[in-house]
Amino acid sequence: MSEGAAVVRPVTEPVVILDDVAVSFARGRRLVDVFRRRPGSVVQAVDGVSLELRPGEVLAIVGESGCGKTTTANLIMGLLRPSRGRVIVDGQDLAGLAESDRRRRRRRMQMVFQDPYESLNPRMTVGEIVAEPLQVHRATATRGESETLVLQALERAGLRPAERFLAVRPVELSGGQRQRVVIASALVLEPQVIIADEPVSMLDVSIRADILNLLASLATKQDIAIVMITHDMSTVAAFSDRVAVMYLGRVVETGPSRQVLTSPRHPYTQALVSVVPVPHPSRRRPPLVLVGETPDPSRIPPGCRFHPRCPVAFARCPQVDPPLFDVGGGQKAACLLVGG
Amino acid sequence: MTVWRKLLRHRLGAVGLAMLAVAVLVAIFAAVIAPYDPYENVRVSIDDIYQSPSPQHLLGTDDAGKDVFSGLVYGARVSLLVGFAGAFISLIVGGVIGLVAGFKGGRLGNGLMRFTDFFLVIPELALQIVIVAIIGQSLRNIILVIGLLGWTTSARLVRAQTLSVRARKFVERARAVGASDLYILRRHIFPQVVPLMLANAVLTISLAILAESTLAFIGLGDPTVISWGQMLNFAFTRGAVSAGAWWALVAPGLAIVWVVLGVTLLGNALEDLLNPRRGRHFLEPEPAMPAEETVGPAAERGAPAVLAVQDLAVEFVVAGARMRAVDGTTFSVRKGEALGLVGESGSGKTTAMLAALRLLPPGGEVVGGSVLLGGQNVFALTADELRDVRWTRMAMVFQGAMNALNPVRTVEDQIVEAISLHDPDLSKSAAQERAAHLLEVMGIDADRGSEYPHQFSGGMRQRAMIALALACDPDVIVADEPTTALDVMIQAQILELLKKLQRELGMALVLITHDLGVVAESCDRVVVMYGGIVAEQGTVEEVYSDPQHPYTKLLMEAFPDMEDPDRPLVSIPGLPPRLDRLPPGCRFAPRCPAAFDRCQVERPPSYVLSPGREASCFLLESRQVVGV
Amino acid sequence: MRGRLVLRKLGWALVTLVVVATFNFMLFRVLPGDPAKAGLRDPRLNQEAVEAARIRFGLDKPVFVNLEGGSPFDSQFFRYIGSLAEGDLGTSYAFNNRAVSDLLGRALVNTIWLVLPAQILAIVLGVVMGLVAAWKRGTAIDVGSLLFALFMWALPTFFLAILLLFFGGRWLGLPTGGRVTLGATYESGWEQAVDILRHLLLPTIGFALVLIGEYLLVMRSSVMEVFGEDYIQTAKAKGLSTIQIIRKHAFRNAMLPIVTLIALNLGFTVSGAIQVETVFSWPGLGKLTVDAVSQRDYPVLQGTFLLLAVAVIVANLIAELVYLRLDPRVTEV
Repeated sequence: MSEGAAVVRPVTEPVVILDDVAVSFARGRRLVDVFRRRPGSVVQAVDGVSLELRPGEVLAIVGESGCGKTTTANLIMGLLRPSRGRVIVDGQDLAGLAESDRRRRRRRMQMVFQDPYESLNPRMTVGEIVAEPLQVHRATATRGESETLVLQALERAGLRPAERFLAVRPVELSGGQRQRVVIASALVLEPQVIIADEPVSMLDVSIRADILNLLASLATKQDIAIVMITHDMSTVAAFSDRVAVMYLGRVVETGPSRQVLTSPRHPYTQALVSVVPVPHPSRRRPPLVLVGETPDPSRIPPGCRFHPRCPVAFARCPQVDPPLFDVGGGQKAACLLVGG
Repeated sequence: MTVWRKLLRHRLGAVGLAMLAVAVLVAIFAAVIAPYDPYENVRVSIDDIYQSPSPQHLLGTDDAGKDVFSGLVYGARVSLLVGFAGAFISLIVGGVIGLVAGFKGGRLGNGLMRFTDFFLVIPELALQIVIVAIIGQSLRNIILVIGLLGWTTSARLVRAQTLSVRARKFVERARAVGASDLYILRRHIFPQVVPLMLANAVLTISLAILAESTLAFIGLGDPTVISWGQMLNFAFTRGAVSAGAWWALVAPGLAIVWVVLGVTLLGNALEDLLNPRRGRHFLEPEPAMPAEETVGPAAERGAPAVLAVQDLAVEFVVAGARMRAVDGTTFSVRKGEALGLVGESGSGKTTAMLAALRLLPPGGEVVGGSVLLGGQNVFALTADELRDVRWTRMAMVFQGAMNALNPVRTVEDQIVEAISLHDPDLSKSAAQERAAHLLEVMGIDADRGSEYPHQFSGGMRQRAMIALALACDPDVIVADEPTTALDVMIQAQILELLKKLQRELGMALVLITHDLGVVAESCDRVVVMYGGIVAEQGTVEEVYSDPQHPYTKLLMEAFPDMEDPDRPLVSIPGLPPRLDRLPPGCRFAPRCPAAFDRCQVERPPSYVLSPGREASCFLLESRQVVGV
Repeated sequence: MRGRLVLRKLGWALVTLVVVATFNFMLFRVLPGDPAKAGLRDPRLNQEAVEAARIRFGLDKPVFVNLEGGSPFDSQFFRYIGSLAEGDLGTSYAFNNRAVSDLLGRALVNTIWLVLPAQILAIVLGVVMGLVAAWKRGTAIDVGSLLFALFMWALPTFFLAILLLFFGGRWLGLPTGGRVTLGATYESGWEQAVDILRHLLLPTIGFALVLIGEYLLVMRSSVMEVFGEDYIQTAKAKGLSTIQIIRKHAFRNAMLPIVTLIALNLGFTVSGAIQVETVFSWPGLGKLTVDAVSQRDYPVLQGTFLLLAVAVIVANLIAELVYLRLDPRVTEV
């Protein structure tokens, strides 16, 4: 299906649907494995994740390193093919598309990286950086057209007056300005989805709100779906509509952000929420600190994968792998205490 | 171009460039410069052979009675031709192979690198000798052999460079945008690799010149042309040594040295400029400390302070310019107290604490104030006294535990080292026992003490670092961003541990962080720093419930609170001050919504609002308490 | 974990060896010129004698695989590999039909006498000077050593050797060629040893001087890199003195690149030996190579070539194993 013939879709229809997707990486079969006739070990990076992403909404994916949030982002981007399940973009299964069509789809998915100091090529000017996606996708016919789009994107990213930034090199910009350049180059192709990977964690506290507000306004005002990958629960509460909490390649709890954060049902979410420092000494509360570290994703525990670290685990937990149980109000949690 | 200018300013580089330029000019204008044509056949008598230097023959004559100086001048042509042409071939072959191997990686890349490895094993000169001997000693063959056998260094260099550029985030971003391999190579990788190839090219030229002269010396040069190696070969094999004709030997040899040295100096300079080394050098001698100052009575209030920083001022000298990183900072920590040192990047919080232990990086210099550690002025200590004080009175958990531990020594070994150093009478086994105990306290299985830092996870490394800080039972522990870059749950674990230790051991803790939440959770008092000064300090309760300084107020409003998600977050307009362009008045005035005329020109002092509570803002002038 | 790594390195060295042996065989076949003609170009030999020699040296057999009947392995290549496995490197064309292995053995011993002391001297001096230069960064000592190193690097080995020979021989009266004084008779073993040592002195100094520059440069930059590492700051904060820090924390880490360099340098040692031995007529491998080239003595050339490559492979292997011991971080190839 060509780009021009896009169907007009109702606002509520999801742009991206992940339907029970799984991705595993082979960790290389070593010589010893060959001699012993056994397969190489397999890392289940993502294992049965279902998500929906709607235009104009900010979805936060929260979890610790190794939980699969980056793999999930790459699945949404179409940079990875799932080994199981379907990735549906605009009602179309990505698996059925030719490579050229996938590439064209990718235009509508843009990414904002964590480190604005590293993600800009120091030898290019801001104008060149923002124009790069246009060039790569041959999206504009003339130089003038390209420059108009670049200026518009810079304006939308809050770099005003845009003309003044065109010839500037990244070294001359502050961290916040650089992140705006990254956002501008994501905006220039009019994306449907922007995936922001820890967009403010490298920035000073005093300017974080600006960037987060900018992203949120892109969602509400321009109907862009935003996926925010983060480990910071307090920004989740303030800047996202829905949240998906991931642990070891699974979504363990999902629902409207406020609701999930004020009444978390999964013990893992409860722990994550409890350890967020509250910026006021009078409201100190005992955090629920989990012992140990997230296990290696090549050795996933049987049953509920959280049970070895779970403070309320009971006899059935090592045996039953709990699905996501509906707890009302759009909130779901994968814990036997909730639905079993 | 700027690199050009920098090169001319780089002294050795400019010398190298000049040496090379002289050689190139001589080669070009050989016919004009040389008094005789060495290719011309002239009849010589026996007396012409090995004549010593004279006005007719500036450098004497050689075994055939020819003018050595003219030979040198014409020899420059051959040496430079072989050097440039050989290096050119090496660079093209090596560059392409290195670029492909680095960019494609995988099977192709590995295969190419293995192929390169084989060539590294084969003795180059021996191979060159054999091949030239077999295919014939023409200049073309020599250039080809030198060029085609010299590519391995370039290939390895380019591959390493390509690999590191490929791993950079902006390449990943270009990929995410949908750019093709070719585009990324052309637009992102090539421009980054080329400058380094340039520096490498220069060195390759010198290698090619050396290779040519060596081949010629061994007797495998092109017999129809004159090169410096050839001249040495003739002189050496035809009796110059026994004739004592040093000029026939020394002159061509020095000519080679001239060109190779020039090229090498140039290459070294280029590498310096394009790939500047980290300027840090932690073992450089310390600059002089400020003269001891009398300690004012204000330092003592309530329980005695274990650490009192008074009017501390630190400057950095960068490229000749002095920049004030910490400017008149005063605060103190008491026994059993946890102090939070909060500020954004560049606020001087880490610098102040490094200065307190006299650990400033090179270029940093204490220019005023004093630091009292248990009543002793740290700045007045001799080098020996200072070493005794370090770690026993104040220990530090440095930012980034991965790099702060020595990668080639076991974790336990590094803890034992600190214990034994400050308690030499303790037996080795007792020290080991203590180290094991400390690791256990930090939640690390004592068996794992015999492992190396890289075998630990990030959280465990941080625990080990804290165990190391505890080694000598210090009065104060300074923890610099101890939880940054760790996962949330690990952050919580580390913070809980620090709090517990501080409570149980009764030591003082200075927590350097940018996270207001962490301070609120785990500190008693807080010092808010901005642009090298203390903006505000007081107990955590006071400062958080009733911030006085406009900066503190805005900072609180910028920090998200999970329990109050509806509160809009603010951003402070503008940027933190640059140390080389500090505003003349209040450091915060350019970004302050409440600033008035006086703030732009005058620096507000720190007003004492109540005992232990201070803020540096003119708005609070009327509220200061005098004579506490 | 690391045991497997050692095995892998060993295996890889073996593979390299096989490839190099094959390359070595091919080099002398692929290059223009019939080796038999080249080796047997004595005009007095008649056609029959040449043919007989061809059969004797096995040059009548197919090059790679015998497809003309008989065993497929009855070819020049497999004969070569087969005799290699037995330690037989063939017989020399030029040196009175002596066994190549015999010639090589003697030359190797002489070369080791020359190379080993020079290498040790250069490593010790280069490392110490590099360390001091880095420590005293920016001072006259540092700039002086840097210039010295660069100058030494720019000096062609053979030129330095000639200078030593010319001036050393003239002013110090040291012998300038060969291994022993020709025609000398010795009253004791001690006297003979002194004579050999006197012959060794100049070549060793020359060789060491050439090597020093590079060691100094690499050590200097390696130490400077290490001095900027965070763990040096930690060591300082712990209260260690500068000497203690260098001894316990900086030295070992700074030596890592040197270990690699020493191995890689063996290739250079070979080329250095060729030059120094030619100038001083030292009867080692380098001189043998040059002589073999001028005589077009292919079996000897092939032999020296293989021996030199094997030496480099072995040195590389040792360096890699040492590196493994020094740096616990290495777990991947």
